[in-house]
Amino acid sequence: MSMVDMTRDMPKSPDGLKMERITVPFGPFFPGLPGGLRLDLTLDGDAVAEAEAGSAAGGGNRLPEAATAPDAFADRLAALSPLSPVAYRELACRALEAAAGLSVAPDLARARAAAVERERIASHLGWLAGFGAQSGFGWLEARAAALQRQVRAADVAEIAALAAKIGALLRRVRRAPLLRSKLSGIGLLADGDAPPGPAARAAGLAADARADDPAYAGLGFEVLTGSGGDALARLTQRLGEIAQSLDLIARAGTVALPVPRDIGTASGDGTAQVETPRGAARLRLTLRDGKVTAAEIGAPSAAHVALIGAVAEGRELGDALTAIGSLDISPWEMTA
Amino acid sequence: MTILWVLLALSLGAYVIAVLEGWAVHGRLQPARPAISALALLGRESLLARKPDRLFFEAGPVLLLVAGLLAVAVIPLAPGLIVTDLATGALFLNAALAYVLVALIMAGWGPNGAYGMIGGWRFLGQFVAYAMLIVMPITAVAMRAESLSTVDIVRSQAALWNIAYQPLGFALFVVAAMGLAWLPPLDLPTAPGDLAGGIEAEYTGARLAVLRLARMVLILTLAGATVTFYLGGWLGPWLPAPLWSALKILLVAGAMVGAGRLLPRVREARYLELSWKLGIPLALTNIFVVGVIALVVPI
Repeated sequence: MSMVDMTRDMPKSPDGLKMERITVPFGPFFPGLPGGLRLDLTLDGDAVAEAEAGSAAGGGNRLPEAATAPDAFADRLAALSPLSPVAYRELACRALEAAAGLSVAPDLARARAAAVERERIASHLGWLAGFGAQSGFGWLEARAAALQRQVRAADVAEIAALAAKIGALLRRVRRAPLLRSKLSGIGLLADGDAPPGPAARAAGLAADARADDPAYAGLGFEVLTGSGGDALARLTQRLGEIAQSLDLIARAGTVALPVPRDIGTASGDGTAQVETPRGAARLRLTLRDGKVTAAEIGAPSAAHVALIGAVAEGRELGDALTAIGSLDISPWEMTA
Repeated sequence: MTILWVLLALSLGAYVIAVLEGWAVHGRLQPARPAISALALLGRESLLARKPDRLFFEAGPVLLLVAGLLAVAVIPLAPGLIVTDLATGALFLNAALAYVLVALIMAGWGPNGAYGMIGGWRFLGQFVAYAMLIVMPITAVAMRAESLSTVDIVRSQAALWNIAYQPLGFALFVVAAMGLAWLPPLDLPTAPGDLAGGIEAEYTGARLAVLRLARMVLILTLAGATVTFYLGGWLGPWLPAPLWSALKILLVAGAMVGAGRLLPRVREARYLELSWKLGIPLALTNIFVVGVIALVVPI
């Protein structure tokens, strides 16, 4: 059989060649992608023709279905996203307080915001370490991971002491040779795409739940935006946000983990939103006699997953994986 | 006897390079790690992929090892300490290293797995990028020595090493050699982050041990070629000639292995672009400059 006969009914590549396509699994345990992200790429040569994503990190909606006490509800929500538990715990606390009609003292609100910012620094450092692993940038992987471990539970004084080391890391990443050419133009978002979180801000959209938050207003927060909308812009955005979060923690002066307050037998509906490291998460819940009877959550990674095809299809495999990695998808949030 | 000495030196060198590579990857200096890893690999089952091309699967790693060993045969470690001093040694080295491409495509295709196959074809693309940048700097080195014998090339550097005489050629050769040995940031055929090991992905047990040993030999060979062509080979004061060769080869190999840790992996398209649009004009410039210097001020 001739080559022409063998490839007669096969789809054409962009370069006009007809080739047999293969579907290759990347994940749920793939070295360069977040653990739990299931990615099936249909390859046309070494270019991605189609991308399909799923999560192996959970089994659908894991919000409690029966009436749940506030403490248990906050724990459950924090466990829903192991990559950013503090932000989700804060989300639960805010929604519970809104439903019970409680207000939070400004000092406490700022301290809780500082805890979320600490988690943002750790999360972005974790992303940097993951990017280092994916791109073979061993020094970055080791250094960012080491700093992430130190930041995770650090108090304000310890974070201040780490600020110089983190600053040095940020400067070195910005100056790293070959980085610009590796990321520039990769994973470029179209004008109509509306990603949440750092990906949006990197594209110049001032999408940040912190902008409307009185606690952040008290810390002098301003939305940081970039330009470009590609993987390089997303890297630069996260570097800028790490530095910004360090400033916010210094201004807050103290860090307090969010803890659900005593709401007695309050009843009501409450909504809240928190800017997690990956974008705004929203929660709506119903309280009956001091227990959560219904809850609905919106997590940012679902929107990121919808962009996978746009950033990966038609790209060379390495570029496609770099683009997908730059979105910072949390597989746990995909099933939230 | 010379062959035995060279093989012994090669074995020791490969072990040291494995230690250095472990250091570069894991950030810890563990002298026993290669021995433990080798024993672990040899003790593991060597799995056969489903529906493999058995000939390519088995022959790929062995051919890679043979290519590296053939190239070593023309690397002089000291006057008289060379397996064979061919009049066309530099050309022979080039010809032997050409089989690296064949071996990697076989190793990539053989297991019938996507990661390996893409890794093999990636190396073909990488070959298009580095091939001319291996040959052209060697041309300039041979011009100065007026010989293709690797021993003559070392002797031609008695007054001034080629790293000072033709630094541009040195830089181009080292980068191309790193591409040939798929060392980071040019490790596209294995790329753990986006190919999960690539050509190594489907190999296990003894077959993987052979593949990794072959790569260590290849790294040493290329470091040896760099020392021969640019760093005066065995030449140096005070120390015995073989020791000078060993020190220089380990230093170059260590630098080649360690440098990748500080850089992100280069995109394949960018590597091709840089090689052809920048590298080849620079290599031609190097040949021209070396030719002019050789004619005007013979050193």
